[in-house]
Amino acid sequence: MDPRARLALLAAAGVLAVTLERPLALGGLTLACALPLLFVGIDRRWLRRGVLAVLAIVWSTSLSQALFYAEQPRVALLQLGPLTLWREGLRYGLAQSLRFVALSLGGLAVAVSTPPERLHAALRALRVPFGLALMASTALRFLPEITRELRTVRRARAARGRPAWQRSPLAWLRLELSLLRPVVARAWRRAHHLAESLDARGFDPVAPRTVRRPLQLGAVDLASVTAAVLLTAPAVAGRLLYVLYTSETWYHPALRPLYGWVRGWL
Amino acid sequence: MSLVLTGAGYRYPTGARPALDGVDLRVEPGELVLITGPTGCGKSTLLRLAAGLLQRHGQGTVTGTVRVGGEDPAALGPASRVGVLGFVSQEPGDQLVAATVGDEVAFAMASAGWAPARMDAAVPRLLQTVALDVTEDRDTTALSGGQTQRLVVAAALAAEAGLLLLDEPLAQLDPAGARELLGTLRGLADGGVAVLMVEHRIEACLPFVDRVVQVDAGRVRRDDPVAAWQDEGPAIDAASALGLTLPGRIMIARAGLEETGMEPDGTGHEAVEPNRDPARTTSGTPLLTVQGARYTWPGADRPALDGVDLALRPGERVALLGGNGAGKSTLLRVLAGELEPGGPGAGRTPAVRIVAVPQDPDLALFCETVREELAYGPADARLPRPDVEARVVAAADMLSVSDLLDQAPQALSRGQRLRTAVAAAVACAPDVLLLDEPTSGQDHAQVARMMAGLARGLDGGALVFATHDVDLALRWATRVVVLSAGRVVAAGPPGPTLASLPAESPVVLSPLARWCIRHGRSLSSLDPAAPGGRPLDDDPSPAVP
Repeated sequence: MDPRARLALLAAAGVLAVTLERPLALGGLTLACALPLLFVGIDRRWLRRGVLAVLAIVWSTSLSQALFYAEQPRVALLQLGPLTLWREGLRYGLAQSLRFVALSLGGLAVAVSTPPERLHAALRALRVPFGLALMASTALRFLPEITRELRTVRRARAARGRPAWQRSPLAWLRLELSLLRPVVARAWRRAHHLAESLDARGFDPVAPRTVRRPLQLGAVDLASVTAAVLLTAPAVAGRLLYVLYTSETWYHPALRPLYGWVRGWL
Repeated sequence: MSLVLTGAGYRYPTGARPALDGVDLRVEPGELVLITGPTGCGKSTLLRLAAGLLQRHGQGTVTGTVRVGGEDPAALGPASRVGVLGFVSQEPGDQLVAATVGDEVAFAMASAGWAPARMDAAVPRLLQTVALDVTEDRDTTALSGGQTQRLVVAAALAAEAGLLLLDEPLAQLDPAGARELLGTLRGLADGGVAVLMVEHRIEACLPFVDRVVQVDAGRVRRDDPVAAWQDEGPAIDAASALGLTLPGRIMIARAGLEETGMEPDGTGHEAVEPNRDPARTTSGTPLLTVQGARYTWPGADRPALDGVDLALRPGERVALLGGNGAGKSTLLRVLAGELEPGGPGAGRTPAVRIVAVPQDPDLALFCETVREELAYGPADARLPRPDVEARVVAAADMLSVSDLLDQAPQALSRGQRLRTAVAAAVACAPDVLLLDEPTSGQDHAQVARMMAGLARGLDGGALVFATHDVDLALRWATRVVVLSAGRVVAAGPPGPTLASLPAESPVVLSPLARWCIRHGRSLSSLDPAAPGGRPLDDDPSPAVP
C-alpha cells in the first residue's frame, strides 16, 4: 500500500477518534486500528504483551475516572464503603482510553509496516518540511535499535549488581535514569556517523534528489482512502450538526432522526 | 582520482596538540594504500580530512591543503561529491540510511540525480562487485557484520567515486571474509580507483596493498612500498617501535629461528587429531556448563546454536572461534544466561557469578566516572569501603586505566572505553568473564596488554572470549572452541586443534600461527608487543566518534 494512503487512513482514524464519543464506536475504531498489526509479522510474544498493556491502560483509566468523576449529573453504579463507582465516569474513562489506544495502535501499524525512506517520501509528497520528514523517518528507523541497546545496558548492569528491586524507590529511580546515559551517548555517536555518511553520499536537505521508486497510488489505495472518507465525512458532519443543536446554536426539526443517531451510535 | 595532502593538519577544539600535523601524502588512481599506526595516532582524522568532512563540519583548525582530483573536497557540491569520493567510517551499522539493500546502494545515486532506470541497472552490478549475495529488498538490519561492511563499501562507490576512503573495514570480518573484501578492494584499485584504507590487521593486508603508511602522533613516520615489509629494514624497525604487528616471517627471524614451513594461507595444515572433548583438556569441577544448547533467533531459517556442549573450569581461558554468523555471540549470551537454550536435554548449570562485556562496550558504561564504574559492582555487593577501593585499584591497574579514574567513561577513546568496561567487569571478581570481540578498535599492543592483565588477574575465574583473531587465541587461550553453523566442529588445546582445521574453514591460521604450531613454539615468545613497553593509549583525538 502506498505510504500516503496509509497516512491518510491514519489521519481519518485520528479524526474519527475525536469525533466519536460512544465507547462501543470507539471500541470498533480500536479494533480496526489493531487489525493491520496482525498482518505485519509482529512476534506473538510482543503481541501478547501489547494486548496486556492495552487492557491495563483501559482498565486503569476507566477505573480512576469511575472513582473520581465529579461532573453532574452522575449515576452511582456501585457503592463500596466510602468509594463510589460513577457510570458517567466509567464511560468517560473508557472513551478517553480507547481514543488513546486506537491512535497508538494505528500509528504503530503505520510505523512498523512502512520502510522509513518510503515514509520520508510520503511526508515530502504531503509537503511536510524536509527536516521534519527526515527526523520522523530517522527516529522511526532507530527506535528498535535504541530499545535493544537499553535492554543490553540493563543486562550489563544486572550482571554487575543486585537486582533493581532490592533498593529503595529513590535509588531505583536514580539507577534507571543512569542507564539512559550510555544509550544517549551511543545515539549521539550514531547520529554523528549517520550525519557523516549522509554528507559523504551527497545528501543535502535543500538539494533536489531523484527517487528510485516513485510513489504510486494504486486501485487499492484509492479505494481504501475513498472508503475512509465516506465513513469519516458523515460522522464528522453528524457530530457538527449535533453540537450545533446541543449548544442551541442551530436546530432543524427534520434532523431529529440524525440527532438521535449521533447520540445513540457516535 | 588522485588524492594529495600537502602539509595537512587538524587540531580538535579541545585538543592540547594537533591530532594531525604536516601530513604529506599522495595516492594515485590504481593504488591501494594502507595506513596503520597505534590507536589514537590520527589515522581516522586523516581519512576525515581527506574526505572534506572535518573542513565542512569540524570545529577545529585545519592547516595545509587537501586535493582530490585537483579539487578541494570540502568545496565540492553534494551532487558532484559522490562522483568523486566514497567514505566508509568505522561503524558500518551506523551508516545505513535506507531500510533495504537496494535503496541503500542507490542513496548516493539519488543525490547525484541519476534517473531511476540507471539506478536499477547499477545496483545489482555494485552488489556483485562487492560480492554481496543478497536480494535488493533484503532488510539492511538483517545483514551480518560482514555483509553490512560490503554493503557500505558498495554504497560508497555507488555514484562511480574515483577515490575510496575506508576506516578499519576489516574490523568485523572473519579472516576469510577479510580476504574476500581485500580482494574486492584490490580489484577496484586495479580498475582505476584510488583506495586509502586504515587498518590494524597489517599482515592480512600486505598481499593486497601497494604501499604502507605508518602514522604516529599525528605525523606520517614512514611511507613505504609493500616490498619494504618483506624483510628487515627501516619500515619494520619503525613498525616495531610503534608496537605494530610485524609479519610472521620477521618475528620468526628476529627470534633467531628458521622460517621453514611457512606456507601461503590455506595450505599446509597438518593432520593432527583434535581433542574434541573439552573436558579432557582441563581438570576441576566445572564453573558453568551448557549441554545440548540450541537457539534459533526469531525469523531465522536455521538455528544459531545447534546442540552445543561446553564446560568451563577454573583458570581456563577459552577462545570461541568461527566465521561470521557461526554462533559465537549467541553462545556467549547463552553462557551469560541472557538467552534460554532450547532443544532436547538442553540445560545450563550456573552456580557462579558471570559478567559479560557486550560487543559494544559503551553499553556497559553507565556511571559518571571511571572510578564509580569500577566501584559499582563491589559497592553494590556491599563490600567494606577499603575493599571496594582495593578492587578498583587492582582492576584499574590490570586494565591500564589508572590514569583515567576521574574521567567520564563516555568521553574516553574507543580503546579506553573497552578497557574500562572490562575493568568494571573484573572489579566484580567474576567466576566467569565473557568478552565479545575484545580486539575491536584496539591496536596489537593494547590487546596484548589487556589479555596479559586478564591472564594475570582473573584469580581462579574462567575467561571466555569470542574473536576472529586466531593469533590472539593461540597466544592467550588455554582452549579453543571452533564453531561453524551453530555447532562445535573442533575443541581442545589451541595448537593441535587449530592445526587440524580443514583448509576450507573460515578460521584461517596466519602463517606465523601455523609456523608456531608446526614447530611447537609459543607465539608469545616471538611477539614484541610485550607488556611494559610503549605506554598505553595516549589518544589525542576526542572520543567521538
